[in-house]
Amino acid sequence: MFKKLPIRRAVVVLAISCLILSLTGCGGAKTGADAGNSASTEARDYYKVGVITSLSGAEVQGGNITKYGYDLWAETVNNKGGIKVGDKGYQVKLVYADDQSDPAAGANAVERMITSEKVDFILGPYTSGVTKAVAPILDKYKVPMITGSAESPSIWTQKFKYTFGSVPAADLTAISPLETLSKLPNPPKTVAVLGVNDAFSKAVAEAFKASAEKNGITVVKFDVVPAGTDFTPLISAIKQLNPDVLAVGGHENEHMEVIKASKSLGFMPKAFVMHYGITNPDFSKNLGKDADYTFGAAVWTPDLDLKDDLFGSAQDYVKAYKDKYNAIPDYTAAACSATGESFSAALAKIGAKPPLSDQQREELTKTLEQIEVNTFYGPIKFATDGNWYHDNVGLKALVIQMINGEQVIVGPEAMKAKDPVYPVPAFNVR
Amino acid sequence: MGLFMQTLINGILIGGIFITIAVGFSISYGVMHIVDFAVGEWIMLGAFTAFWLNMYTNVDPLLLIPFIALFFALIGYLFQPVIQKVVNIKHRSAAMMALAFTFGLSTLIRGSALTLWGFNNRNLITVLSEKNVDLFGITVPAIRAGATVFSILVTAAFAYFLYRTKTGITIRAAAENKTVAGLMGIDGHRISRLVYSIYVGLTAMSGVFIGSIFSVFPDMGLRYTAFAFFVVVAGGMGSFSGAIVAGLMLGLISSFVSVYMGGAYVFLILFFILYLILVFFPKGILGKGW
Repeated sequence: MFKKLPIRRAVVVLAISCLILSLTGCGGAKTGADAGNSASTEARDYYKVGVITSLSGAEVQGGNITKYGYDLWAETVNNKGGIKVGDKGYQVKLVYADDQSDPAAGANAVERMITSEKVDFILGPYTSGVTKAVAPILDKYKVPMITGSAESPSIWTQKFKYTFGSVPAADLTAISPLETLSKLPNPPKTVAVLGVNDAFSKAVAEAFKASAEKNGITVVKFDVVPAGTDFTPLISAIKQLNPDVLAVGGHENEHMEVIKASKSLGFMPKAFVMHYGITNPDFSKNLGKDADYTFGAAVWTPDLDLKDDLFGSAQDYVKAYKDKYNAIPDYTAAACSATGESFSAALAKIGAKPPLSDQQREELTKTLEQIEVNTFYGPIKFATDGNWYHDNVGLKALVIQMINGEQVIVGPEAMKAKDPVYPVPAFNVR
Repeated sequence: MGLFMQTLINGILIGGIFITIAVGFSISYGVMHIVDFAVGEWIMLGAFTAFWLNMYTNVDPLLLIPFIALFFALIGYLFQPVIQKVVNIKHRSAAMMALAFTFGLSTLIRGSALTLWGFNNRNLITVLSEKNVDLFGITVPAIRAGATVFSILVTAAFAYFLYRTKTGITIRAAAENKTVAGLMGIDGHRISRLVYSIYVGLTAMSGVFIGSIFSVFPDMGLRYTAFAFFVVVAGGMGSFSGAIVAGLMLGLISSFVSVYMGGAYVFLILFFILYLILVFFPKGILGKGW
């Protein structure tokens, strides 16, 4: 008997520690390179660009959308002769690092990428959580990064010097759907807010709550839950409260689960309000008609009238994206592609040829702060002070509604293509 | 009262999904003394198999369940000797190496699935999907009810097998004490192989239900690995009835905490209870584990 107990304990301890390891991602060994010595000394006539994003783990879907966006930029710029510096064009070569959808693994991966791959600059993560973990590493090695995706406002309040973002923070965009609904002739009176406990989703849920309170909508429930929670009991409880609107801060997976659970419990509010994720092709494909009429927020849609020299018009971009990936790009894909254009413009302005020295990277960072680049995605100009330091805050927050599997702009008043449908038809009469 | 009943039913339905997985996992642990980290991956493979078969044959995934159970039982049967080989290595901590092996296996399967099938989310639509039954004012999702009923039937059949057939009795003997069972002429290896095969079959089969309640993607199994541990440790390692009670308890705690305290506290409370169980009932809630 006495022999068994220690083995059992050891197994339990080991099992639990392995489990923790599996949940937090297996951190690789740190490469012990010294800071400040990260610039490349090899001679090359192309830019080595690091891409850090979620290529496995829970956020692999969104991670691949960012990858598609960055890849399309690299391909387009290379086909047009590369980044023009002086009178010569330099090709772009992307190097990928997988953050496994985990902040700690992301920080390790980016450190490895900087010290052993010696990238010139970095195109940033899909998730806000990873962005926040990676930003201090960039400050340590002084390598500039722009994320074409991360949206949590808490990234920008920390004023990281080398981290930039081309999508406005969620607290600037998530307020728009409920505001638009509150201005309707028959506005919603009550809302239940659910959020998933990650940097982005939580910020969205908080913004939903704040905008509801500001616009006179009573918040009957506010719950921020850990990732992986079964939504059924939560939605049962919400059903009893019978709110006009259910607002959810999450990603495509959670959005799908919420709609499936609501339908299976016979819960049909007057509207579902969500944020990023509903424009993900899988959302409409998997839910079919149930995906329709969901409200969301966006900063770019394929029908906007914008253009630039690299991609042409927004519609040209959509076509190029569709030809390559057989899907319609959402604002994250567009922002990622446009992100590369900011780097191109800044490199051209300072005339920095590859490989970049430490000093040139410093100059590049300074130039990113100064320039404004007009792209097919909209103007990119990073804030240089305040609560959204280094975030591209200038874009208009659009309210979208999914109709027949396509995103339609329904707000704000000045931008809308159609009036919002509210209350929305029930699942069984679509 | 309505909310209380709804929460109770939800809890039973959530727990119902875990029972089959927990029972297989627990018995396989009891006999082989190996914690199979790949439990979630068997679920995922089962769900994917159902998805592909459904796509090409248009047969309802629920009707594919017997085939999937048999197919994965065969895979388990063929694969078990590989794990056994790792356990049998003459090494001080062979059990640990086996543990590391299944951990690697889980990563390998998940990674391969991601590479082969991509990251897309897939929907597994069954005849019960998205329907619900109204039971005295309580809404019961049909697919979950189906999963629970099926789970109870399978578990009952498995219990009958374990307690009433000769092979079942040898399995329980091996789970209780492998050495003594060996002295009584029970072939431990044959039993291990059989048990692992049943466990993989049961788990993959549950994957069909899980895939149709949620959705099918390479990472879908991860959360069940954590839950399987909860159920096995709380129920007592290797205990059949403990696994059933712990599975139901898991569902009820999730459901009641979600509704009455807030979803934020579910994992906190679950694992705190697990801690209490480990401290005060180290042999599981029924005291039947080892």
